[in-house]
Amino acid sequence: MTRNTRILMSVIYWAFIVYLFVPLALMVTMGFKDSKFIGFPIRSWTLDWYTAVIQDTEVLSVFGYSMTIAISTTILSLIIGTWIAVFLGPNKFRGKAIIFALACLPAVIPGIISAIALRIFARLIDIEPGMFAIILGHTVHNVPFVALVVMARLSTQPKSHIEAARDLGADSIVAFFRVTLPYLKPALIGAGIFCMLLSFDDFVRAFFLGGYQPTLPVLIFAKLRSGMSPEINAISTIVLIMTAILGLWAERSMRRLNKGS
Amino acid sequence: MAHADTDRADLRKSTAPGGRMTFWGALLHNGTYQAVASALFKTQRRQFLILASLPLFWIFFANLGPIVEMFWIGFLDSYPPKVGHEPQFTLANWAAFFQDQVFIVPFFRTLAFSFIFTAITLLITYPVAYFLAKHVKRKNQLLFLLLLLIPFWVGEIVRTYAIMILLGNNGAVNLALKSLGLIERPIPFMYTGFSLGVGIIYLTALYMLLPLYSALEKLPDNYLEAAADLGAGAWTRFRRITLPLSKEGIASGCTLVFLISTGYYATPVLLGGPRSTVFAETIAGFFHVAGDQWPMGAAFSSIMLIATLGVTGLFLKLMGRDGKGMMR
Repeated sequence: MTRNTRILMSVIYWAFIVYLFVPLALMVTMGFKDSKFIGFPIRSWTLDWYTAVIQDTEVLSVFGYSMTIAISTTILSLIIGTWIAVFLGPNKFRGKAIIFALACLPAVIPGIISAIALRIFARLIDIEPGMFAIILGHTVHNVPFVALVVMARLSTQPKSHIEAARDLGADSIVAFFRVTLPYLKPALIGAGIFCMLLSFDDFVRAFFLGGYQPTLPVLIFAKLRSGMSPEINAISTIVLIMTAILGLWAERSMRRLNKGS
Repeated sequence: MAHADTDRADLRKSTAPGGRMTFWGALLHNGTYQAVASALFKTQRRQFLILASLPLFWIFFANLGPIVEMFWIGFLDSYPPKVGHEPQFTLANWAAFFQDQVFIVPFFRTLAFSFIFTAITLLITYPVAYFLAKHVKRKNQLLFLLLLLIPFWVGEIVRTYAIMILLGNNGAVNLALKSLGLIERPIPFMYTGFSLGVGIIYLTALYMLLPLYSALEKLPDNYLEAAADLGAGAWTRFRRITLPLSKEGIASGCTLVFLISTGYYATPVLLGGPRSTVFAETIAGFFHVAGDQWPMGAAFSSIMLIATLGVTGLFLKLMGRDGKGMMR
């Protein structure tokens, strides 16, 4: 590799980082602008938009609603995803490849189609648009990610773990809860936080499956359609900081997972 | 490994510090539990069936059910069912797609846009992934990778809004160009295919970057050194070694970016304009307006699903893969 291409590539890398961070940095900056009008230049600064958001009961209740959905989705996705991983990981049977492909299907279907299909399906099984429909939709979407992460971790577990537990008198259920589950813990934490992020950030499913009560992304979308305002920047910035913290936490536990095996 | 050490004691006799039996020990001794467990696990076959029950139910009910239902509704003349009207079987919804330019143009535009955006994403992220995998020191790689990951944890709407601020008439780019004296009046970036492209690439680049990075990371350095020793130039080394050995990553990355970028709805609404309407907006239109347009929306969604999965299937076939491990 010549010196010039090396320099060129590092320039491209840093340019790409700039492309990723500048829009977000601008958005955060604009939240401190002392004017209702979004755009440059910024002449004076204020924290008013943040105090307004924190006191806005609508935003707070929507935030709580989104959180409820994210937490319920995460719990359901972890249970179903782990169960699928434990079923598909070690067992061999006819048609496993097809079952595996079908298990991964919701992760690769384009978002809008998945949202529409679930909207029609919710009508069929008689779920009103609203919280339960969104939780169902998010769970369907998240389960494949949990299953894949857990399967990867499961494949590194030594067979001797389970055999030892069985020799000591544990049956399959007890062996799972006392040996396999603790071994899976880092994978479950990582996958769980990832699920929360996916659910909390999701727009398209929440938009089509939701009732009158919006989730946070749907609320931001509705506000954006009626005009840009620094208030949206303040909300978005708070969301951004939270997601970054959660993401870093997930990354850390996944890292430990890779080191541990 | 550490977890197993704590479990080395005989579970049947294991006692808590207070001399009492642990929960699990007590459970194994409980008569009711023993009866239920022995009934459940009587044979290997029965145990397998119990283990299979929830996964198979979920996969067929929640993963396949909505898709099958969507196809089926596409063949009905009215849905949701109305009182006093039995839904009739019809092909009209599918035929409507081919009869009106209003539908066909956004459809092919979506496929063309996604194709172009995927290609641009590949061109942009390949050097980034290569730099990361081959030029950054091992111990720094995590830090450099995290720097790329952080913006991608932020949701679709927030990042779309960030692009709106960047490209607006009073946005950062126009301000910069104006202060440099390059332009008099702001360039209308927004509500065009350009702004949509910037937004979609911003949203999807990571799904290209990670597969590329993991493919390039596995590429042994000594292959390239050996080729260099044998007199291969930089371009030959890239074309004959790096590119073929990163094919796996290119295939997964392109598949993911293509599928995901066709599925965005909010981003085209916010960043696109009347001349860049995508098929997601067309489909959504059937579910917004009051009235009985679900069957047509369902048929159109089915057409789009077949098209996108068909295109990616063909692409993976051309790349010489059968689609296995696509998620890795």
